[in-house]
Amino acid sequence: MRIHSPLIGAALGVALGLLTPTMATASPAPRQPAAATTPAPVPTTATDPATGPAHPAGAAAAQTDEVAALRRELEALRQQVKLLQDQIAALTAATPAAGAAAAPAAPTPLAPVPPQVQITTAPAAGGSPRTRIPSLLNPALSAVFQAVGDTSLVRRDEANGFDLSEAELALQSEVDPFTRVDLFLTFPNGAAPEVEEGVVSTLALPGPLQVKGGRFKSAFGKWNTYHNHAFFTVDRPDALTSFLGEESFTNDGLSLSVLIPNPWDLYIDAITEVGTARENPEFNSAGRHLTYLQHLAAFFDTSPDSTLEFGLTAAFGKTGPTESLLDAIDTAGLGSTLSPRQALASRLYGVDVTYKWKPRRLNVYKSFLWQTEALRSRRDLDRLTPAMTLLADRASSLGGYSYVEYQLAKRWRVGARYDWTEFPDAAGERLWAGSGVIRYQPSEFQELRFQIKRTVRNDAAAALFGGDASDTRLFFEWIPVIGAHGAHKY
Amino acid sequence: MTVPHRTLLILLLVPALLAVPGPLRAGGHVVKVVATVPNLASIAASIGGDRVKVMSIATGTQDAHFVDPKPSFIVKLRAADLLLVNGLDLEIGWVPPLTQGARTGRLIPGGDGYIDCSTGIRVVEVPTILSRAEGDVHPYGNPHYLTDPLNAEIVAATITEALTRVDPEGAAGYEAGRKAFVRALHEAMFGKELVDLVGGSKLAREAANGTLDGFLNGTSIGGATLMSRLGGWMKRMQAVRGQPLVTYHKDLSYFADRFGIRVVDYVEPKPGIQPTAKHLEELVGRLKQGEARVIIVRPFNEHRSTDFLQEKTGVTVITLPLETGGDPAATDYLKLYDLVTSRIAAALAGAGAGAAPAQGR
Repeated sequence: MRIHSPLIGAALGVALGLLTPTMATASPAPRQPAAATTPAPVPTTATDPATGPAHPAGAAAAQTDEVAALRRELEALRQQVKLLQDQIAALTAATPAAGAAAAPAAPTPLAPVPPQVQITTAPAAGGSPRTRIPSLLNPALSAVFQAVGDTSLVRRDEANGFDLSEAELALQSEVDPFTRVDLFLTFPNGAAPEVEEGVVSTLALPGPLQVKGGRFKSAFGKWNTYHNHAFFTVDRPDALTSFLGEESFTNDGLSLSVLIPNPWDLYIDAITEVGTARENPEFNSAGRHLTYLQHLAAFFDTSPDSTLEFGLTAAFGKTGPTESLLDAIDTAGLGSTLSPRQALASRLYGVDVTYKWKPRRLNVYKSFLWQTEALRSRRDLDRLTPAMTLLADRASSLGGYSYVEYQLAKRWRVGARYDWTEFPDAAGERLWAGSGVIRYQPSEFQELRFQIKRTVRNDAAAALFGGDASDTRLFFEWIPVIGAHGAHKY
Repeated sequence: MTVPHRTLLILLLVPALLAVPGPLRAGGHVVKVVATVPNLASIAASIGGDRVKVMSIATGTQDAHFVDPKPSFIVKLRAADLLLVNGLDLEIGWVPPLTQGARTGRLIPGGDGYIDCSTGIRVVEVPTILSRAEGDVHPYGNPHYLTDPLNAEIVAATITEALTRVDPEGAAGYEAGRKAFVRALHEAMFGKELVDLVGGSKLAREAANGTLDGFLNGTSIGGATLMSRLGGWMKRMQAVRGQPLVTYHKDLSYFADRFGIRVVDYVEPKPGIQPTAKHLEELVGRLKQGEARVIIVRPFNEHRSTDFLQEKTGVTVITLPLETGGDPAATDYLKLYDLVTSRIAAALAGAGAGAAPAQGR
């Protein structure tokens, strides 16, 4: 909406014809030179006294030069059409605005602003977007992909090498004044495309409410909500992988977010989700049971240059028997006699803390980040006893990570992450890992990441990883973004 | 089985009840205005006076391209009647998360509280080819239009209209505030004497048409041309007209057009792209040949590149605020341009001896 509303009421109609000749001189690159050489009397503005002396073309040329006359008329029509278009645009775009503005504008029919300045904006500001309107109505389209190289320095026989690990295609747009859609399609390495997230969210519910529906990454802490290209490191923290699997905890369902009003004017967001979890180890009941989640986040400005955010999350749902139990039953050949329970209660709790330091004056060049999350899983499960019977049991396991990052310069960041996690099947598996990462961003639209990671496991955990008690891996990732990718949250 | 359906239902409902919509508009007649950048806040405060409460999200020393969309701003935004944005995609990286987060229809683009202050501005440098190979190009043109002080008059009209719309009772006050601001702007721009003689609107119109010189030289009152009575920033900058300078970012185009100076190159090889060694070497060559003797850098730009250029070529590097509050002396928009014009004029005059011959526009 680039039309100045009082102008519509007051100045535009009068000024357009009047100022057509001066417009050409005012504009450094006149779009319609014809208007400058032949300032034709426009029918609607012919009554304007100022156009009187400005038409030397006169009657003499009228018959001999019909082409010129037609051209002038065409020009006049074109201006009328433009004027009408502008008025329609202004009326449709700013109906409340125009109505309210008409009254104060009326007593000052000559716009207070120099009319030339405004009139020239019609072609300059109104003209260029006109050519883009079709593309403006398309959703914002962007693509991100990650080329990942991954090698173990310990096990040479593993699948080392390069992958186009994922390509993401994002389509984002407002649907109407009330809702917007963010659709992220992902093309995992070599596999069929799938919807990573497809969310419709409200823009303008009464009060501090926002409802989302569709498929979305659950608001479980911080990292779970990130798309892969927005990670700080190449890989996900081990605790998330251990409890939630290789992919983010994603729900198909509904989410209600409420900004809790409070006397301190703090940002406190309460998110409630109800949905069917996309299959993950923690919530895995093949779509037959709902998963519930409650997340509470509070945000503090500890100084003008630093912020602190706290989050608490609890998720409840059902899951099936663990892989290790099913394997054990299979190995024992008891598949036909033992049937483990299918819908087992599963709860996952999380705490997250994020501190950011971003000096406002130089935030492009320097920053510091510390982010820590802890997760606790409590699951009912069946255990295979030495007597080959099933024992109803409950497993509690803990995990978490802590990540620090310092931005050295506009393009360079260095980070380190510590991982510690148990595995949620009551066998006492534990894993520790330390990572160092270098992030290089040649521009806002490209990033290269280098990561080295040393992992140590206890004996029980080693059994889950082919007997390896330790591993050292190198990762390399190259992430370009093209198109209009929506701005990320803070 | 203890999945607490009921508990969850309560959890879901309690916040919803807490969230019963409060008063959407500010109580009494104080209009709450949030501006994205301090220059807009300053102009709005000049117009609104006591009837408005204005805050800016970005600070004066901050790069308005890269403000962090902190959730605390969302809380401030929710209470606002008006959001003034610079527009032309300057704030594309951080305003959308804030307006979406604010969850109020009036503050998203198209809402009646979302005021795009670029409305009515004659935009320059609209790219004909859109490619990020050209760096961080702004698809709608150069967004730093408030570097031409005359554009502040258009912005003032936009803001006055918006204030009048949300607070019709204050209409007369806002119009008076606008007139006073525009008067002060014209006097600062052309000098009080000339504004008293000719009227600020006439002068602004001639300046916008590029015919100010002809008008001032061609009109005499009492035996002296009007040109002899020119004062203010135009007079100050007249002494250095046609002189070249280099800026860090492409953020002085409107200023250069208005005051007739030439921006011959940029420290950034392309907008938003960190200076490369190759580009700096090229600049050293050009500066050594005397193509420009002054470099303008902003408080939020890194100074290593400009320090290097200064060391290699002896050019004058001045750090100039782009926004109100970007310098302790720049306490409002008019003081900002008082400072900017005097420092640029002084730097160019001081460097004038070694500079290439001034060329007319």
